Amino acid sequence: MSIPKDISELVRAAVISQDTADKISDYYRSRGRHSSNRLFIVFGIFGAILVGLGIILLVAHNWDDLSRTTKLFFAFLPLLTGQILCGFVLIKKQDSIAWRESATVFLFLSVGACISLVTQIYNIPGDLSSFLLTWMLLCLPLVYIMQSSIASLLYLTGITYYAGEISYGFYETSESYLYWLLLLAVLPYYYLLYRKKPESNFMIFHNWLIPLSVIITLGTVAKDAGELMYIAYFSLFGLLYLIGNSTFFKHQRLRNNGYKILGSLGTVVLLLILSFDWFWYDLRNKDLHFNEVITSPEFFASVIISLLGLGIFYFQQKNKSPKAIEPIALVSLLFIITFIIGLSSLISVVLINLFVFTIGILTILDGAKNEHLGILNYGLLIIVALAICRFFDTDLSFVIRGILFVSVGIGFFVTNYWMIKKRKTNE
Amino acid sequence: MNSKKIILLAFVLVALVQIYIPAKIILNRAIVLSSGKEFKFKTAPIDPNDPFRGKYITLNFNENTIEIQNKENWVRGETVFLLLVTDNNGFAKIKSVSKAKPFDSQDFLKAKINYVIHDGSKVSIEYPFDRFYMEESKAYDAELTYRRTLPDTSQVPYALVNIKNGESVLKDVMINGISIREIVKQEQQNRK
Repeated sequence: MSIPKDISELVRAAVISQDTADKISDYYRSRGRHSSNRLFIVFGIFGAILVGLGIILLVAHNWDDLSRTTKLFFAFLPLLTGQILCGFVLIKKQDSIAWRESATVFLFLSVGACISLVTQIYNIPGDLSSFLLTWMLLCLPLVYIMQSSIASLLYLTGITYYAGEISYGFYETSESYLYWLLLLAVLPYYYLLYRKKPESNFMIFHNWLIPLSVIITLGTVAKDAGELMYIAYFSLFGLLYLIGNSTFFKHQRLRNNGYKILGSLGTVVLLLILSFDWFWYDLRNKDLHFNEVITSPEFFASVIISLLGLGIFYFQQKNKSPKAIEPIALVSLLFIITFIIGLSSLISVVLINLFVFTIGILTILDGAKNEHLGILNYGLLIIVALAICRFFDTDLSFVIRGILFVSVGIGFFVTNYWMIKKRKTNE
Repeated sequence: MNSKKIILLAFVLVALVQIYIPAKIILNRAIVLSSGKEFKFKTAPIDPNDPFRGKYITLNFNENTIEIQNKENWVRGETVFLLLVTDNNGFAKIKSVSKAKPFDSQDFLKAKINYVIHDGSKVSIEYPFDRFYMEESKAYDAELTYRRTLPDTSQVPYALVNIKNGESVLKDVMINGISIREIVKQEQQNRK
């Protein structure tokens, strides 16, 4: 289907006037220019990433036959090229996103290439984490000076890698607390992006990468009181969900709302893990000393995140009726109570199963109300996942499990059929 | 316009820092290389790799645990100074460990405590030169070459290190006085 052809046909058939036809053509022409510009940005960035990564790989070959001076020359060549490009962009091309982002990406990667080549040439020790840290610190200013979103995204990836490398590796030598400061350092840029271009693709990437990075890194806090991390994670997922439910995100497409999706998925997955009784058996058998617990990093993490969540929860609910409370946001609070009960009683397992079931049902209802097939089936999937988890619990009788499965399966058919039928009658 | 100038100035500063940091690393090492004293550390090379910096061989040093007379409170990861002497065969030996920096006239090396053994009567040392980067085709062969020389006690692999004021630069890894790079290169050519 071609638009100019259609327009002339519509004019001939007197459906639209020539004036309207011109306006439509103008609109598509301006939009076309916009999209070609976007394509230019994407290709520019990808080109720079590929060339930059290629240089890093070439560097990693460790050319034995080149002299030290030659190697040093090649270490600084991409770095200087990147710097000159960025300087040129700042002076001449500051308004071109494509130029700005591509040049910054190139410089970002060549800083990494330069440091790695220098450390290779002199066989400088220092593990991957200290290398990443130096690299990220040298490139953080680029985010603000070049106003570059890709630099910010690369930086976020880099600091997450750094925190993971330092804490999840088998050589757990040092703490990753520095990560939180590094994260804090890039948040002002995120805020600027939110003020200036709330609808842009870069903003959407940030909306996914920031919660993802925090989710990955929160686990590095864990030390001896690992059980408490469940509280910390529940609070984190609750917090993310609440952020995803704020007025800013609420009107965006669901797939652009990383906070809400990750918060919801995270909560459900954690609940499913805890719906088995092994965790609660371990918890009861473990000696948790009050004094040790309240000084553990896990406890601090849990308290800080829970308080943040509570704060946001309070502000969001201030002017709403209690009916509008989102169930997922509530789970993180209920979990703290369940956890405390779980210290002395096994009833917590039942409670957790009840939570999953309730969330599943409420999600189905929500999907039905909003006529959203995706949400409806997400709710059904939660129930199915719960059923599958119970399938593996050998202490439930086969008959009960059988009935459970058949009824969930029928539920799937009925709700989807009903929804599709309802949509058709609406049309 | 004014803010543009500030941004440009900030960028120039950042660019200078980006050049300065690697240049400073180079300078520090170059000084040690040109005027440091050479030591030989007996070692055992094996080959892992790093996603950004490529293949290298890890060096495990024979001389890596030391008995301590005064049981101070040694902590893992702490920086310590090793007083070095050369034994009859020309290899480096650790004479003593201390937390305080020795006089400049002495031969010493800055290193880290890897772990403390038992009650603190022995510590294991992490040397600041445990990586030797090699061309990707050679690193694994280097490890094989080393393994082949193992049964032959006359063939001693060692790391050639320059040291000055506690700072060190690893120059080469040798087996019986020949660079492991050269040995691997020879072997690869012979195979063709």
